[in-house]
Amino acid sequence: MSTQTVNSVVKLTGAKGGKYLTFAIGREEYGLEILKVREIFGVMEITAVPRMPQHVRGVINLRGQVIAVVDLRAKFGMPSTAQTEQTCIIVVEINRAGRKLNTGIIVDKVSEVLNIATDAIEEPPTFGDSVNTDFNLGMGKIGSSVKILLDIDKVLSSEDAIQIDAITKAAA
Amino acid sequence: MQPTEIPQFDSLLSVESVAQLIEQASSAVMVADIDDLTALATAHTCFQQIAAGVGVVADSGTRSKLESTSRAAEKLVEQIILREVEDAEAAVRSLSSTVLELQNLLRGTGIEPQTNAAQELASPLPAAVTAACKTDKPDILGGSHAVAVIEAETALNADDVPLALEFISEANAHIEAAEANLLKLEEHPGDPDAVNAIFRSFHTVKGVAGFLNLKQIGALAHAAENLLDLARKGELEITGSIVDVVLESIDLLKSLLGLLEHALRKNEPSEQEPRLPALIAKLHAAANLTAPLPSVSNVASASVTCPESQIADVPSTPNVAAAPVERAATTTAEPRPNDASQGDGTVKVSTERLDSLINMVGELVISQSMVSQDVTAVATTNHRVLRNLSHLGKITRELQDLSMSMRMVPVQGVFQKMARVVRDISRKAGKEVDFVVVGGDTELDRNVVEAIGDPLVHMVRNSVDHGIETPNQRLEAGKSRAGRLQLSARHQAGRIIIEITDDGRGLNTERILKKAIDAGIVSASDQLTEQQIFQLIFAAGLSTAEKITDISGRGVGMDVVRKNVEALRGRIDIESAAGKGTVLSIHLPLTLAVIDGMVVRVGAERYIIPITSIERSIRPTAEQLSTVQGKGEMCLIRGRLMPLTRLHRLFNVAPRTENPTEALVVIVHDNQRHCCLLVDELLGQQQVVIKSLGDTIGAIRGVSGGAILGDGSVSLILDVPGVIDLAE
Repeated sequence: MSTQTVNSVVKLTGAKGGKYLTFAIGREEYGLEILKVREIFGVMEITAVPRMPQHVRGVINLRGQVIAVVDLRAKFGMPSTAQTEQTCIIVVEINRAGRKLNTGIIVDKVSEVLNIATDAIEEPPTFGDSVNTDFNLGMGKIGSSVKILLDIDKVLSSEDAIQIDAITKAAA
Repeated sequence: MQPTEIPQFDSLLSVESVAQLIEQASSAVMVADIDDLTALATAHTCFQQIAAGVGVVADSGTRSKLESTSRAAEKLVEQIILREVEDAEAAVRSLSSTVLELQNLLRGTGIEPQTNAAQELASPLPAAVTAACKTDKPDILGGSHAVAVIEAETALNADDVPLALEFISEANAHIEAAEANLLKLEEHPGDPDAVNAIFRSFHTVKGVAGFLNLKQIGALAHAAENLLDLARKGELEITGSIVDVVLESIDLLKSLLGLLEHALRKNEPSEQEPRLPALIAKLHAAANLTAPLPSVSNVASASVTCPESQIADVPSTPNVAAAPVERAATTTAEPRPNDASQGDGTVKVSTERLDSLINMVGELVISQSMVSQDVTAVATTNHRVLRNLSHLGKITRELQDLSMSMRMVPVQGVFQKMARVVRDISRKAGKEVDFVVVGGDTELDRNVVEAIGDPLVHMVRNSVDHGIETPNQRLEAGKSRAGRLQLSARHQAGRIIIEITDDGRGLNTERILKKAIDAGIVSASDQLTEQQIFQLIFAAGLSTAEKITDISGRGVGMDVVRKNVEALRGRIDIESAAGKGTVLSIHLPLTLAVIDGMVVRVGAERYIIPITSIERSIRPTAEQLSTVQGKGEMCLIRGRLMPLTRLHRLFNVAPRTENPTEALVVIVHDNQRHCCLLVDELLGQQQVVIKSLGDTIGAIRGVSGGAILGDGSVSLILDVPGVIDLAE
């Protein structure tokens, strides 16, 4: 791959080289910009919140702050599995309407922190209408494996749409 | 605020820079005390430079006088620094007079050594005033011309931003004080203390604005100050129209400060305030007395003819010594390291930090209780551990009390604003009102104080407009000419009660009822108690005002009032007697951060119901339960039939039991509607700290927030009106 194409890829994907926290959901490997990650801990008791979309599992107490927890499996429409010892909550800092906000995401397993070079990132493939690739920053290639780099702001902010929908339905 | 850098002039100074140096020396001298070497050194350098640079002064007599005076001053400072004088403090004082002398000398040369602040302030004024006065109709034309002269506040350099933000909050406090004093002055005309206090407020604002190079604010404060100065000297009595003008300046200053703050936060240059030039012209006209007031934007009045001769006087001789004094005052207010004992003992802390401190303390309390539960569970016999643990508990509780008290502010500020509202409305409506404030020092949570302002304005407005009669009506009814409106605040049983008492005509139940029936809010067949009729004034779309004025009577307002108060978890009680008056009492929680809640369990989940919404709870018998068409469940308790809502169905949780006779019903209400909530059991009452879910999850119907329980888990707080809505 020439430098020229790399540059154009970067422009398209918006993904930069750097450190990524990788985690697994089922057999898929995902990557998250390390600067977005606040902390990681094992699954604790989650208080269910009524009238929420299915992927919003509820709220937890993060040292005095009540934060929402989103199940990424449900969010991505994958079948739910039993919790294991490896199931983790990653607390990420997202931008919503200019404000920083902590939100927890539940993943099957946290793998490692990887350094992914810019020229190892390719733009996300298109699958037509069947797969929504809006959340995708790009595909990181590490050796023979591929990590899906997530735009976590987009993943979690698309909640708003669903939620507003839910609330207006409830109000109707 | 003390100048740290002294501009290094070449030996050949201009007269202006000599003036500037003197000004600098004067501010250094003002802040200096015998231990403050930095200020003394600044003064020393200034005097030195003045002595070296007097060559530019044309008049040889003045020149030599200037030189010798500044040399003498320089010498004196040297002696003070070296502790060679006996009474150093007297020496510092004598320096101030030396500076004055220098200024007078320089002024003798024909150049006014105005203070920096005054210079910047004064220069746009004549032009602005001329512009506004030259034209017979000082309208947009005059205004726009002057706008070009008083430029908007230029973007401050980054170092000044914190300073400016501090200035904004200080200035706001000053103008609020001025407003209060002005209203006091109107009651007791000619009170010299009040005049002086108002003057000082404007003066301080002017001084600091000049220092920060805030031209619009400075110019306005300066113009108002000039007017007040006349009053202070007894040349002008502050009455009617003058009060109006000064109040207008206060309003405009507030809006200017608002604009400035907005600009600073966004880091962009501040906007122009189009009303400014006209108002300044008006202030000057008021000061000149002979001229009628020019019209300002919405205030219609006669056209203005400002005699040119008077305009010349307008850039009033600046109070040469006063501006630096003011700076000295603001500077000394900041505790200096070497006389920390003289600091006034307050520190400004951002609310964000305060909130996070309170949050952390809340967490500490929870952690502490968890640790102590764990230790007690282990049943340790180690007395040392138990003793230390109880000590820790005590400290934590004190810390919690302390952190809570840090959010408390007196309600006086809001009450003061009401004085203004009462004044404006009573004038508009042609009524006379004695406004009395009781218990203004009652403290309550900052957030509550902020949120209560708007509802209070509406209620006070209504009391004056609807409650209190016109003087003639009052005399006919055998009452005193002026109505009495009392605003009081007090603590009672862990809550704050704010009362608005008037001695007006009282609520007319017949008319309220008729209007409500006309508006379709209640039906004519309803049997309403007096209290229920009173509460109708809060219904949306009901106005009992016979004519719609611009003050009130559109039927909006009071329903908003109730919503706002309820959002603060408060309620409004009404007492009224026809012909005698009305008492509106607002009951509010002390703080928004903590509520008393009943923890209930439904299946595996725990929910918190605010205690204030709970009427009672019982285990229903089978006889008390009935259904309508096999679906709608009802519960008959003490002769009242209420809908039964199964909380587990509403929130989709698996309950322990489906049978109501094995569970409990909690009767909740939102002041009008009642509802029975079916829960598994009551776990107990406790105070919980409210955490908003708003950011993370958004608004959920039926849930008002989350709370962290003693074991560190999160539990949801029920929003009772929301739950009742859902149940219906």
